[in-house]
Amino acid sequence: MSDTRAHAAPALPSGLKDFLKTVLLLELWVGLWVTLKNQFRPHITVEYPKETVELSPRFRGVPRLRYHPDNGEELCIACHLCETVCPDDCIHIVSEKKPEGKGKRLVSFEINYERCCFCGLCVDPCPTKPLTAIYMSHDYEMADYKREGFVAPLKTLLDGMDPKDYKE
Amino acid sequence: MFRTEEMDINMGPQHPSTHGVLRLKLTLDGEEIVDVRPIIGYLHRGVEKLCEHRTYPMIEPLTDRLDYVAAISENLGYCGAVEKLMGLQVPPRAQYIRVILAELQRIASHLLWLGTHALDLGAMTVYFYTFRERELILDLFEQFCGARLTYNSMRIGGLLEDVPAGWTDRVRHFLGLFPSRQKEYEDLLTVNRIWLGRTRGVGILKADDAVAMGASGPTLRGSGVDYDVRRAQPYSSYEQFEFDVPTGTNCDTYDRYLVRMEEMRQSCRIIRQALDRLPEGEVRAKVPKYIKPPVGEVYHVVESPRGEQGFYLVSKGGEMPYRMRFRSPSFVNLQALPMMCRGQLIADVVAVIGSIDIVLGDVDR
Ligand code: SF4
Ligand code: SF4
Repeated sequence: MSDTRAHAAPALPSGLKDFLKTVLLLELWVGLWVTLKNQFRPHITVEYPKETVELSPRFRGVPRLRYHPDNGEELCIACHLCETVCPDDCIHIVSEKKPEGKGKRLVSFEINYERCCFCGLCVDPCPTKPLTAIYMSHDYEMADYKREGFVAPLKTLLDGMDPKDYKE
Repeated sequence: MFRTEEMDINMGPQHPSTHGVLRLKLTLDGEEIVDVRPIIGYLHRGVEKLCEHRTYPMIEPLTDRLDYVAAISENLGYCGAVEKLMGLQVPPRAQYIRVILAELQRIASHLLWLGTHALDLGAMTVYFYTFRERELILDLFEQFCGARLTYNSMRIGGLLEDVPAGWTDRVRHFLGLFPSRQKEYEDLLTVNRIWLGRTRGVGILKADDAVAMGASGPTLRGSGVDYDVRRAQPYSSYEQFEFDVPTGTNCDTYDRYLVRMEEMRQSCRIIRQALDRLPEGEVRAKVPKYIKPPVGEVYHVVESPRGEQGFYLVSKGGEMPYRMRFRSPSFVNLQALPMMCRGQLIADVVAVIGSIDIVLGDVDR
C-alpha cells in the first residue's frame, strides 16, 4: 500500500540544467526573493486600540434608533415590524396608544445585543421615511463585564453606549 | 521476537491542523495509517431544524453560519432555491452582481485554504500574504453589504441594494493586483521541493473512488473528473460566462492544490467578464411582502468553493419551510478521507485534510 508514494514521487532531474537547478537550490532563492520584496512593502496592519481602520458607510455594527431629524423626538412609530422580522427575537417593544391623535408611541424599546447577530434584517421593513428609525450603527466596541449591560434600553439605543471604563 | 501492534490515537478535536473541531480516530501501525475514522458533530447546531421555525427571509442569516468561510455561496444557493420554488425571475443585474460576489468569495475562500494548508505543512510565510489579499476582498464585501464574514448579502428575489458608487472600480483594482500576488504564492510553493515532497503522491483519490464517494468541487476535479456545477447546471447566468474547469491528473494533494490555484485565475476571468457586461436596471424582483412559496419541493445546487452545495426545500405553502436540508460538500468530501489516508504516514494526514478543505461548520451543520 505504501508504494503509492514511491510510485508517484517526482521524476528525477535529468540533464545538466536540471542538475544545476537542484544543486543551486534555485527554487529556494525564488521564494526568498518574494519574501525579501515583501520586506519593503508598506505595513497594512494597524495597532488597534490606538488606531482604528476606517469603516465603510454600509458597515453593520450594533442596531440603534434614530431621533427625528426635525423635532428631536424618537422617529420610531412603534409598528413592531422589526420585532417581527428579527430572526433572533432580540427586539422587545412595548407600545401604547397615543393619548391624543392617532397612532402609537413607544413605552419601551429594548435590543438584546447578546442575541443579536448583526444581520440587518430589522432595518429592511422599517416604514419611517426618509430615514429608517432603526439603523445599523458604526459602533462595535461593546465588551462588558455584566450580562445586563447587553440589554440596551431606549436611551442607549438613541444616544449610544456610554464610553466604558475597562479598568474595573 | 519483535511484534508490532496497532495503536489507536485521537487527533483532535482541538488540533491546530484540523481546522476546527474535527476528531480523527487514527489506527496506526508504527507511523503508517491503517485506518482513519472521522468523528464529527462537535459543531452541530441543528440548523436544519431551526429552519423549520423561521420564516424564509430569517433563514438567510443561518446559511451564513454553515460554511462561514464562503457565506456568499450559501446565501446564493439558499436564495436560489427559494426563488426557484416561487418561480421568481431575478433581474439580470442582480444575477451578475451575485456572480461577481460568488467568485470573489471563491478567491477569498481559496486564499484562506492556501494559507492554512501551507501553514500546516510548515510554509508559514504564505499564510500572511494570502490573508493580506483576502483582507482586500473582505473590504470589498464590507463596502457592499456591511459585514466581513456573515454577510447576509442577498435577499430573496435579488439584492437588497445596488453596489455602492465606485465599487466596481475597486473590484477592477483588485483584479489588477491579484495575478502578480498569486504568482508570489506560486513562487513560494509550486516549485518548492519541500512542498513537492509533502504533497506529491500524497492522499491519492482515484477518479472512480472520488465519484463513488460523491466527492465534489476541487477534491473531485483534482482526481481528473471534469465536473463543475457552474457548467453542468448553470445558475445565476453562469452559462453566459466563459471559463475553464481545471482538472488534475495524478489525483494527489499536489493536483488538488494546482486545481484550486487555477480556479482562482478562472474566477478572476469570470469577474472581469461580468464587470465588462454588467447590465443596468433593477436589482430586486417584485416579491410579495410575505414570502410564501407554493406547495412543493425543490432542490437547488451551487458550486461553492468546496464543491456541490445543495439546498433541498419542502414547502407546505406556509411562511416557514416544512423541511430544509443542506447537502454540504465538506461533509461528503470528508468521507473520502479514510480512502486517501490509508497506507500513508501520519504526517501526511495533515496534508490530506488540508487538501480536501473542509469547514467544520459545514460538516456538522
Ligand atoms: S440585526 Fe438582526 S438579530 Fe440584530 S436586532 Fe436586527 S434583525 Fe435582530
Ligand atoms: S420597524 Fe421601525 S418604526 Fe417599526 S417599530 Fe421597528 S424601529 Fe419602530
